[in-house]
Amino acid sequence: MTRPGTGERVPVRRRASTPLRVWTLTGVCLAMIAGLFSSSALALGQARDGLYVLGRDAGPRAMATTDLYLALADMDARVADVLLMGTGHDLGSGREDALERYGSSRDRANEALLQAASLTEGDSVEERNVQEVLDGMGDYERLATQARLSNDRAEAPPGEVDAAALAEYRRATRLMHTELLPKAFNLGLDSSAIVRRNHGDGQRSVALGLVWVCGAGTAALASLAGLQLYFRARFRRRFNPPLLAATAGTVALTVGVVLVLNTGSGHQHDAKEEGLDAAMALARAGALATDMQADQSRYLADPGQADAYQQVYLERAQQILFRPAENLDAYYARVDEVAAAYPDLPGGREGDGDPGTLGYLGERAQEAILPGQEHEDALAEVLECYDRLQEQDGALREAARDGDTDTAIAVRMAIADSENGTFPDCQSALDGLTELHVEAFHEGIERGEAVLSLWAWLPTAGSLALLGLVLLGVRPRLAEYR
Amino acid sequence: MGVRCGRGAAASAIVLALGASACSALGTEPPSVLDGATLTVGVKYDQPGLGLEGPDGELTGFDVDVAHYLAERMGFPPERVELAGVTSAEREKVLVGGEVDMVVATYSITQARKTEVTFGGPYYVAQQDLMVAADDTGIQGVHDLEGRRLCQARGSYSSTRVTEGLGIGAELVEAPSYSACVDALREGEVDAVSTDDLILAGFLAREPEAFRLVNSPFTQEKYGVGLPHGDVRACEVVNKAITEMYQDGTAEGLLETWFGDGDPEVLTSVPQFEGCV
Repeated sequence: MTRPGTGERVPVRRRASTPLRVWTLTGVCLAMIAGLFSSSALALGQARDGLYVLGRDAGPRAMATTDLYLALADMDARVADVLLMGTGHDLGSGREDALERYGSSRDRANEALLQAASLTEGDSVEERNVQEVLDGMGDYERLATQARLSNDRAEAPPGEVDAAALAEYRRATRLMHTELLPKAFNLGLDSSAIVRRNHGDGQRSVALGLVWVCGAGTAALASLAGLQLYFRARFRRRFNPPLLAATAGTVALTVGVVLVLNTGSGHQHDAKEEGLDAAMALARAGALATDMQADQSRYLADPGQADAYQQVYLERAQQILFRPAENLDAYYARVDEVAAAYPDLPGGREGDGDPGTLGYLGERAQEAILPGQEHEDALAEVLECYDRLQEQDGALREAARDGDTDTAIAVRMAIADSENGTFPDCQSALDGLTELHVEAFHEGIERGEAVLSLWAWLPTAGSLALLGLVLLGVRPRLAEYR
Repeated sequence: MGVRCGRGAAASAIVLALGASACSALGTEPPSVLDGATLTVGVKYDQPGLGLEGPDGELTGFDVDVAHYLAERMGFPPERVELAGVTSAEREKVLVGGEVDMVVATYSITQARKTEVTFGGPYYVAQQDLMVAADDTGIQGVHDLEGRRLCQARGSYSSTRVTEGLGIGAELVEAPSYSACVDALREGEVDAVSTDDLILAGFLAREPEAFRLVNSPFTQEKYGVGLPHGDVRACEVVNKAITEMYQDGTAEGLLETWFGDGDPEVLTSVPQFEGCV
């Protein structure tokens, strides 16, 4: 504050300029508080949008696309089962049941395609993928139906698929495995990528919002401090209670918004990583497993390609749960070790040349572990069931190698039996585990929304209160000049 | 006044510190090879048809063309792409060590490698097949190798898949490389060479009269695009580019160009990706 130049004029100048200065400083304070309000409202709004997109829009739709692969793989599995059954209509849970499930998988595939189409709208590359899967499904159905009709006409006994039917099925399953399933899988991955990008963009805009809130809060505090210093110098007032309250309120509002943004974003992060990402990874494991167990039927139905089907069975199995093994017999033994050692996982120590227990049910399931015994038990159940499935696979192939086709088919049909088969058992164990992650996803979203909804009106009310306090603090000083 | 000023400053400091810590936790995107000024891609230099160094030092092949296509879609025009010849053994090392940004070199995706490398793709799923002398009609499938001599290239697992994976009693004859295996096959020192159909097709294209591809594939090799571990952003861009490469017909054209003569049944639809996370 500069000293007035000449003593005489001081009163005049003081009377004229002080109210103006007070008004100016007050105006700056009010503007800064308004700035704090806008930046808070904007950042909170972005945080709410981010949660909404992840929790109610892109997230659930991405989850739905993972169903596409499962449904398609299941269709091909049912066709292989029906062909393998031949005239043995009552094997396992029966031909009628297999055909019904084929139909419902087709409906699910169509439903999932619609979800994929809505999620990839505007992305020409992925839109074309969706269209190609849609077209391919028509071709597949035609080939699969032909194969079934040929086999029926030939009245092929169980395990002796008619040659013409087999040729048609080979074309169908090749179409499924080289065109439909890869595109379906990639669409699922792409929807995960969309979620990841949305989430990342959202988190970054919230972070930017935080910077603005911090900045606006600091500026508001500085302007309030300036006003108080002026009052102190000009009016010899040690305290101005309303302005003091406004200062405290500004600190509280800024800190509150920062904390809420941080907490909300933390909940969103958990919902994505521990909830959605893990659930989608497990859903993929289930889809691959569906295709894997169908390789048993293909192995039995198509002796000419048996080696290749056995090999892809092992490859798919290794994607689901990886242990180093050159052949299936070694793999069965390794899987047995994993189930027995759980919750410890074999291998993976430095320098022993063993990369560890990897794949969807290996390290990835471990990394995504949720707190609580429930989750550990659920994963243990899945591993135990998977071990049982591999054990039965061993029995199936042993019977087939010994030429005992009836036993091999009986084992296969018992595995696939939709009433009490090993595979449906494993699938429901896996569903149980997946469900825990889906719950964690919804919980994270709800927590985030709860935190943010509490702050839906607080910035408005708080800022209005701050404005009121500033005016309340300034009014008596201005009154001195009336 | 000093007290109040101090209080205000302290409060501001707290707010700023909170904000800064919150921001630093959220605001940064992980680094990616996409952010670099140039892209160094590791390719093979000793694999005909895939990545081969010519007498003029120029690298050519299917992998090389794929690398350029992908780089372009990643935002790197040819003048900002550098190719580096790598051997099979050093692929992990150069990628992890940061000497190259990306590897396109018949690099099979395996669960063990995925702990060190993030894989885009696969851009092609090769199948293990057999190559025999043109006049040898006795071998029509992998089971016919029982009691026959199969070449084992050093450091390769392909032959193990036949003997241990499928339990076929073939006699393994060791050679330093696949080129040496092919020489041995020409000289009649071995009865068959077994590895990925694309690699065999590359050799076959040079001497179509001398050899025959059995065309009875029995395992799959997923050729991935190796990226630094955790570079999800680049991986997603690569996957999108591979999808486009198949959609716009480039992949089919390149496969035709490099392997059209030697006849493995090439796949012209986009492979199933491994996933970036």
